[in-house]
Amino acid sequence: MDTVIEFKNVTYSYPLTDVPAIKDMSFAIERGKFYGVIGENGAGKTTLCALIRGFAPSFYQGTLQGQVLVEGKPTTDFGPGELSLKIGYVFQNPFNQISGVKDTLFEEVAFGLENFGVPVDEIERRVTEVMKLTDIWQLAEKNPFELSGGQQQRVALASIIVLKPDILVIDEPTSQLDPEGTEKVFKIIEMLKAEKKTIILVEHKVDLIAEYADEVMVLRNGKLIRFGDKQEVLSDMSLLDEGVQLPQMAILGNKLRQAGVPLDTIPVTEAQADEVIGRAMQKGRA
Amino acid sequence: MWREKLELHKSNRIAALYPSCKFLVVVLYSVCSLLLGSIGVGEGQYSLYLIPWFLVVPALCVASGIGPRFWKAIQKVIFIAALILVVQALLIPSEKIVWQLGFLKVYESGLRSGINLSFSVMNIAGIFVWMFQTTENREIARALENSGMNYKVTYVFISTLQMIDVLGKNSRTIMNAQRARGVETEGNLIVCAKAFFPSLVPLILGAITNTEERVLTLESKGFDVQCEKTHLFNLERSGHEKVVDVIAIAVTVAVVVWRVVLWIL
Repeated sequence: MDTVIEFKNVTYSYPLTDVPAIKDMSFAIERGKFYGVIGENGAGKTTLCALIRGFAPSFYQGTLQGQVLVEGKPTTDFGPGELSLKIGYVFQNPFNQISGVKDTLFEEVAFGLENFGVPVDEIERRVTEVMKLTDIWQLAEKNPFELSGGQQQRVALASIIVLKPDILVIDEPTSQLDPEGTEKVFKIIEMLKAEKKTIILVEHKVDLIAEYADEVMVLRNGKLIRFGDKQEVLSDMSLLDEGVQLPQMAILGNKLRQAGVPLDTIPVTEAQADEVIGRAMQKGRA
Repeated sequence: MWREKLELHKSNRIAALYPSCKFLVVVLYSVCSLLLGSIGVGEGQYSLYLIPWFLVVPALCVASGIGPRFWKAIQKVIFIAALILVVQALLIPSEKIVWQLGFLKVYESGLRSGINLSFSVMNIAGIFVWMFQTTENREIARALENSGMNYKVTYVFISTLQMIDVLGKNSRTIMNAQRARGVETEGNLIVCAKAFFPSLVPLILGAITNTEERVLTLESKGFDVQCEKTHLFNLERSGHEKVVDVIAIAVTVAVVVWRVVLWIL
């Protein structure tokens, strides 16, 4: 197992509070996998992301117990900017991710590369490639502030992808987007998954997590209450009692089972539901 | 190459001047305005030289090819200047009354102060309008960095300029939200003030909250990394900067000498 991020008994509290936002958390993230993070508001999802990226405690201050390791090295030992090339971070609010100093989208996406002193020819090549990949090339000459929320979020993703980080932490990227914007953002995430990037995605839309993630982490009150294969975690109906939302297909599957339909497994995605219900119907006919 | 689109090719020689050259013109023009404002003309000692001096600004703007844009931007300044002139002329009393219509009296000292203040405002604001209408933010940013200013200071300066627009939009959104809740936002000055001041709280708090995420975004994009930065946009000198510098300095010296001579005499 190629571990890329590891939490060792991590407990973290923000300044001026005694209540930890993350409580005694231990887990390992494997390189090249897609992890979905779910949990109700205040469960500690954003704090978890901030810890992975090293914003906590370096920016937020606060108290950190235990260790957060990125490629075996504690995040607190990384120098300024060092983690930016390893871990890309996309925030919830697309508007706040615009640098505010660039007049065109092309320059906005190139901003990070300029900061790292990448040669101009390479900047141009990489920015063009990423803008085409994220379907914003046609907007290259537009002012970043003139875009819609969905377009701005794709710009935020492009601005981070262009830095070619191996790990991506994406915190609720679709919370302010319409279904069309959400779909476009997930198309990009799917492409990143195909490139074998390690992705940690916080998302309230569990159906999308069920569709794309390999593994799921469930947080509640700062604790990691479930962690494992998405099928195993998202078909666990006991999570409903803990206030965790489950995919529509899993709930439907469970209800069918309770009604006596002989499902061999609880489906978590639409495609899986198609197969499982089909098999059950064939069994019924036989 | 896409970056060729980012290059600026201004055909107008004045508009194409390097930002630091334009800034020198702005500073020296403002100094001249203040000096000319201190020269009193005629019995009333009015600062009348400021009036023809102001013609330099529209002339410069027309020559720079930004006549219509300048007119649009200067209208508000003219309104404020006119307001200052009227208020000062009517409210600063003196023994000598220049003009009277019923209870309205234009006092000599009020008119003197009004002309000085309003035309100083128009001259100084006007020359800044010329500079900002002929110079893009990215030109200012590059010029500042080329002059050796820290890129972080440049960032603060440019993002502040951009944020003025953004805060304006946010302010309108908050006002619309208040209107939707039934708060009166239109009417006389008191009604407007009652609606405006409470809207400042969410506006400022929102801006502060957003700052945190903005800082972290910059960190994510390697803003803090200590290395030689690359620039997609490069600023070139038009080649006429020295001539303009010499003219601006010569005019300023002439005005200074004139002012000193008048003091001595």
